[in-house]
Amino acid sequence: MARVSLNPSYVLHRRSYRETSVLLEVFSAEQGRVALVARGVRQTRSRYRNILQPFWRLQISWFGKGELGTLTAVEPDAPFRPLIGRQLIAGFYLNELLLRLLHRHESHRELFNAYDDAIAQLSTPEDEERVLRVFEKRLLQATGYGLRLDHEVQSGKAIDPEERYYYQVDTGPLEAVPNGAEYIKVHGRTLLAIAAERFDGDDVLREAKQLMRLVLARYVGTKPLFSRELYHAYLKNMAYSELKLKKNAENNT
Amino acid sequence: MADSPLINQLIDALRCLPGIGPKSAQRIAYHLLQRDNEGARRLARALNEAVDKVRHCERCRAFSEGPVCRLCLSTKRDRSLLCVVESPTDVQAVEEADYSGLYFVLMGRLSPLDGIGPDDLGIDKLAALLDEGNIKEVILATNLTVEGEATAHYVGELVHAKGIRATRIAHGVPLGGELEYIDSGTLSQAIMGRREI
Repeated sequence: MARVSLNPSYVLHRRSYRETSVLLEVFSAEQGRVALVARGVRQTRSRYRNILQPFWRLQISWFGKGELGTLTAVEPDAPFRPLIGRQLIAGFYLNELLLRLLHRHESHRELFNAYDDAIAQLSTPEDEERVLRVFEKRLLQATGYGLRLDHEVQSGKAIDPEERYYYQVDTGPLEAVPNGAEYIKVHGRTLLAIAAERFDGDDVLREAKQLMRLVLARYVGTKPLFSRELYHAYLKNMAYSELKLKKNAENNT
Repeated sequence: MADSPLINQLIDALRCLPGIGPKSAQRIAYHLLQRDNEGARRLARALNEAVDKVRHCERCRAFSEGPVCRLCLSTKRDRSLLCVVESPTDVQAVEEADYSGLYFVLMGRLSPLDGIGPDDLGIDKLAALLDEGNIKEVILATNLTVEGEATAHYVGELVHAKGIRATRIAHGVPLGGELEYIDSGTLSQAIMGRREI
């Protein structure tokens, strides 16, 4: 029987199971995504009652072969830093992407580090859009769908930041209008920005988002990403409340 | 499996109860038939009546026997305070904590990974309630899970958008808690949420 001892891990999702247990989807450094059952942890006397929360870097031990393992021990691997507001919903988005794209028991050491970085940055007031784009790029890379960002596909010429390219999913950046569908027009500097993981300017960030959206749509399936919809609904609410605050301030002066 | 289709049907029906597997369902069924016929009749009547007559309050979505629940109709409640909770059992819990305002029950929480969004939580009803203009403060008393937090922030923005004050219940050291035995997550929340004395 396989045993894994205190492996750095994140809970991606938890669901109540029976009266006192939970079913967990865990992203572990060593074994990638695994499904675990944590027995009795919803009881008041369980010492693991509070700790099995998403976005908290933990060390988890479990045993079992096959689909569902059994959690045996867990302890914090870092101080708890809660995600709030937009950053929290961005965190759900990362988890939803991982659950859609990762198969169980496939080790993704580099992707684990990328996730770790992303969560750490989301717990600071960092602009979450940049964090998401970097993670999406690394996620595609790790799952074998990496973007082509340095050369035009047909000529092999280096990407020119001032040029505009047709980026076609599965093919890459093209100078000429491609045959078939699934392409989007982007500036060379957007491709280079994604490659360098540095996004200067809102235009670059917006183009990067559109490109990632197109590419990810191919791999995550046709079902909509709920966390993305929630994020947009949340931003809409925020825009209203900022408008209201502004109005109130004007009325008061 | 018993010979009688009626007993089998009863055992099967009992399994809809939370935490009741085939073995427990069988035990309960035989107990009711063997030793407590009157109790079984009473249970059947109570179930029938409750399922037929209990519905959701049109204002707060809590369980109610009339179109509007007793709490919402009461003249003794503070109508400027609204407490938003996830489930009807949370209403009971908050009632015991000496709260005298009104409630809104979401009947769930935002959980994008389970496909539960704002439309499933009666957010439009909550917005209508806020638009009536009596409420001065909304207390967000969703659970302290990531889903509960996301729900609180989401509803909080909606409340702000209407120009109403939104507050989140405090979290940290439980009453009578000794720091030595408190997990680091709870304690770091308590330190972040510290206040002037």
